[in-house]
Amino acid sequence: MKPISFITSVAAVTAVAAMTFAGATVASAKSTLEIVKERGNLRCQVGTPSPGFYNLDAKGEWYGSDVSICQAVAAAIFGSKKKLEIQSVSSQVRFTALANGESDLLSRTATWTLLRDSQLGLDFTAVNFYDGQGFMVPKNSGITSALDLKGATVCVLTGTTTELNLADFSRANKLNIQPVTFEDQNVRNDTYLQGGCDAITNDKSGLASNKAAFPNPGDHIVLPETISKEPLAPAVRQGDGQWFNIVRWTVYALIGAEELGVTKANVDDMRANSTNASVRRMLGVEGNLNEGLGLGKDWAYNVIKEVGNYGEIYEAYMGGGKLGIGIGRAGSANDLWTRGGLMYSPPFR
Amino acid sequence: MAIRDTGKAPTRVKPKERFDFFHDERVRSVLYQLLTACVVGWLVWYLITNTAHNLEVRGMNTGFGFLTATAGFDTDFKLVEYEPGVGTYGRIFLIGCLNTLLVSFLAVIASTILGFIIGILRLSSNWLVARLALAYVELVRNTPLLLQIIFWYVGVFSILPRVKNSIDLSGGAEVAFLNNRGLYMGWPIPGDLFWMTITAFVIAVIAVVFLKRWAHKRQDNTGQQFPTFTASLALLIVLPGIVYLMTGSPLGWDLPTLQGFNFVGGAALPPAFLALLIALSIYHAGHLAESVRAGILSVNKGQTEAALAIGLRPGRAMALIIIPQAMRAIVPPMISQWMNVVKNSSLAVAIGYSDVVALFMQTALNQAGYAVEMVGMTMAFYMFISLSISGVLNIYNKRVQLVER
Amino acid sequence: MAIANGEKTAARSAPLNETSFIGWLHKNLFSSWINTILTLASLYIIYMVVMSMWTWGIANAVWIAENRRECFAISKDGACWAGVIIWLENIFYGRYPRDELWRVNLGGLLLILWMAPLWLPRVRDKIFIGLSTVFLYPFLAAYLFSGGDKGIFMQIMVSGAIVCLIGNTLHAAIGVFGDSSLPATLLRVLGKAEASDSNQRNTLLTILAIAFVAVFLLQMGWTTKFVPWTKWGGMFLTLVISGIGITSALPGGIILALGRRSKLPVIRVLSTSFIELFRSVPLITVLFMATTMFPLFMPEGFVLNKLVQVIIAVCLFSACYMAETVRAGLQAIPKGQYEAAHTIGLGYWGMMGLIVMPQALKHMIPNIVGSFIGLLKDTTLVSIIGLFDILGMLRSISQDVPWRGLHKEPLIFGAMVFFIICFIMSKYSRHLEVKLSAGANR
Repeated sequence: MKPISFITSVAAVTAVAAMTFAGATVASAKSTLEIVKERGNLRCQVGTPSPGFYNLDAKGEWYGSDVSICQAVAAAIFGSKKKLEIQSVSSQVRFTALANGESDLLSRTATWTLLRDSQLGLDFTAVNFYDGQGFMVPKNSGITSALDLKGATVCVLTGTTTELNLADFSRANKLNIQPVTFEDQNVRNDTYLQGGCDAITNDKSGLASNKAAFPNPGDHIVLPETISKEPLAPAVRQGDGQWFNIVRWTVYALIGAEELGVTKANVDDMRANSTNASVRRMLGVEGNLNEGLGLGKDWAYNVIKEVGNYGEIYEAYMGGGKLGIGIGRAGSANDLWTRGGLMYSPPFR
Repeated sequence: MAIRDTGKAPTRVKPKERFDFFHDERVRSVLYQLLTACVVGWLVWYLITNTAHNLEVRGMNTGFGFLTATAGFDTDFKLVEYEPGVGTYGRIFLIGCLNTLLVSFLAVIASTILGFIIGILRLSSNWLVARLALAYVELVRNTPLLLQIIFWYVGVFSILPRVKNSIDLSGGAEVAFLNNRGLYMGWPIPGDLFWMTITAFVIAVIAVVFLKRWAHKRQDNTGQQFPTFTASLALLIVLPGIVYLMTGSPLGWDLPTLQGFNFVGGAALPPAFLALLIALSIYHAGHLAESVRAGILSVNKGQTEAALAIGLRPGRAMALIIIPQAMRAIVPPMISQWMNVVKNSSLAVAIGYSDVVALFMQTALNQAGYAVEMVGMTMAFYMFISLSISGVLNIYNKRVQLVER
Repeated sequence: MAIANGEKTAARSAPLNETSFIGWLHKNLFSSWINTILTLASLYIIYMVVMSMWTWGIANAVWIAENRRECFAISKDGACWAGVIIWLENIFYGRYPRDELWRVNLGGLLLILWMAPLWLPRVRDKIFIGLSTVFLYPFLAAYLFSGGDKGIFMQIMVSGAIVCLIGNTLHAAIGVFGDSSLPATLLRVLGKAEASDSNQRNTLLTILAIAFVAVFLLQMGWTTKFVPWTKWGGMFLTLVISGIGITSALPGGIILALGRRSKLPVIRVLSTSFIELFRSVPLITVLFMATTMFPLFMPEGFVLNKLVQVIIAVCLFSACYMAETVRAGLQAIPKGQYEAAHTIGLGYWGMMGLIVMPQALKHMIPNIVGSFIGLLKDTTLVSIIGLFDILGMLRSISQDVPWRGLHKEPLIFGAMVFFIICFIMSKYSRHLEVKLSAGANR
């Protein structure tokens, strides 16, 4: 009888906790949009703080480019970026937390791969950042190519595909690289700065942000080789086409707005005065593009009004803004297609 | 009558007219147990069916087949052969377990030695030393171990020199180097006739055992002491030494040498390993010191006075009279500390040392899935270790109890 | 033993080296050459540690700056405390809305107010106060911290808690100043001190009901803004998790311990294996299990949020440790107590609840405080699975762009916070131990 009462007490604790924290949701036939609207906020999953993508500031607010995607989707649905609950989830359970309905949207540096797209029960929507794994070495080491790293010790973060890519690269090129694994970026950086390893490998965005924080950033170079493709994209649960479209087209609205020259500052003016048909359709002045998405007419207007266009977000968090990590955009894959990049929005019509 | 806290009130024998089913003690006890078993069984069944259903719905793989599948990632510290793309997940599990055992074993030894030293220093007559030991114990016991591990990792290994300026621990002999990539040391490679040296050493050990017995008997009979310690030491060094030299020094050394970026050869211990070892030893030494101190204090003061009165020097009084008696109080908490060392070594995951949790439960789980199997295997490993250690403790407790009576 | 001659000899003053400072030094620090060496070595260690901490942590430290670059510009080889100072609210309250911080503070103050009578002399019915802390305070705190709409259940519990809190406080005040109890005072005021037992009971129940209804009506208009668990963090979250852990560990531990000592084999085996299972694995594996396997255990579509998963894991874990503490406490109770309880005709639960447990619990208090310290320290592990407890927050500072790479200072600050809390608690538990053992020896 004792274990029974123990179990009942556990059950009671669970029930009470579930009630108190209002964390329990029971899935039903409702669409994700309906669930989100009913709840009154969007649950968006990010990772543990990572500069540029998702970060906590001293006031306890989240900021970063992936956070902006969350805010944009919230703005598209509710007209306000504040109707958002950011969940920070460690990388072990990022996909299960989305799959079991804890979060509505996964907007964290998750690489779009065939395996993940097809086997984890989730769909990647649209790439919002093109990343790739590279190496950083001290300038005075004389290394100019990743192929010079024969027998070198390379610092790598554990539990990510970075580790796997490094092993593959080392094997393919018979480099016999010695990995030194770290759980913590800071420790890895300190070790590297003290010469504990000959190179760091990470996504290039991460390398840039780390470099920017070094006491003497000029003493280190990022090697030209990119040993992996890391297209980062927000992901949603499989099986809800409407929700998938909402997230995908929110990302495209950000990119499209930049293409069309719509910014946070001029969006009101554009809506009132623009004669460009694309702009008018996108901002909901003309046509009924919103209907298929199940959103309000001014959804894209709200997105731009609340968070700005893609270029503005990039400048603020990835580029040279006050909170940016200083990765140049010009000519990179993340520039607009009109300037030689890969950022391209399908037409708004 | 010895009354245990039984599951019900003792029977007040009262012959009854009819058999009262619900108030019969045996029926009730069976009923309770049946009920418990049913509820627990139902709960287990419920969880299992839920899990099976969820696994199926999510299309997650199950079974232990993955143990023979090849793993694609590498690890920076391994005691057995492994190559990414060739080695299996089973091998990864083995590497993780061995790494956990290695760091725990070394930490157990180091923390026990350090714990005894600190525990005795705590009782030192030197005021300053006693206070310093107290400060150490309080500091170590009142901050989280995880913080301490991160501190050692961040704090200590960032002040060690680079590879090119390695500290030669062997003082110029170039056998052991310490730098911020870890500790590199020479590793012995036994030659053909090396077994003879080992045999000689074993013989020496056996001889020492007999010598001790003989010396003990002689002291009992005649009261004369024999310098056992010096004699045994001489025996242990000289006998294998002579055999070693006679067989022509059949032992080669694989020495670490600086090649390109790194030291090559010998045995290498990564910084994360050293940081974890230091942190675990220091943390658990603080806890052990308190057990040692309490154990020593638990020995009646009269024992010390009596020992001093029969003319033993303080050191010998400690070693011959106090410590052996204190051991009875020290050993049980000490063994449970050892168990904690093994369990706490799992915090390696915070600094990336490839123990079983970091390597198997985190990296492998991330790569391959199989959450249920991997979590289960890791927990089973820890349970096996802990139950073995507590088995030893039980045997010890039984023996001590017998000695007591 | 006996003094031979009846005259008293005047007491001689102590020799100089027993009283003077020099004498003390000689006796305690320089009594032999080994001691002298040890003393000098200790002084050297102290000097090194203190000096390096002083120059890095205080003399060369930067206290006010906008970002880390500014710190570097002011002083390159000193600590940059500015980042920690700017992040203080995050470290203590996590992402809790800044306008609502008073709720967390109030929750803490109420707990102190609630529990303070336990330490005051002359207050009666301390067991009731203790039990109400365990069973009613959590509801009040839960609503205070999470807010939002109150269901009818929460309304009842919150009202009950408020009534109980007011009652407790009045009771304690009356106890301290008037050396009486709340019920007795109430009855005296109403002139029913001489009435029959049932009359008295009815009067008290009526007062209780009136108070409850009044509070219930008053609290209906009181709502606070909903704060989701994802906004909880910092030291606050650490205390919530370990607080819930230790509170539920006690009943859970008692049940498991009784189960383990039970004579019914099925129950004994189940309890024992449950306890041994959780005691033999590290907490981090239990936490990993909670986050990876709990979602699989639940029926499809039912989702426990991560905080609840973690709390369940911590509760199971600490209950099993507490079970062993309780078992040790039970073993210390002499057999005579059990036999005496049987003799006066008490059944199993009567014997345990009225005779054995109260005595055992009293002796377990120091160990329970010890367990709480352990749990508080262990709770830092939740940062590994991605919760923003105090350690998680401390480690996030280095990721914030203005403070990029600032990671040693936060860790040292965290160590100081933990040290202060744990040191005070462990000193207190040692004090209790001494007090209780003195009581037992009397």
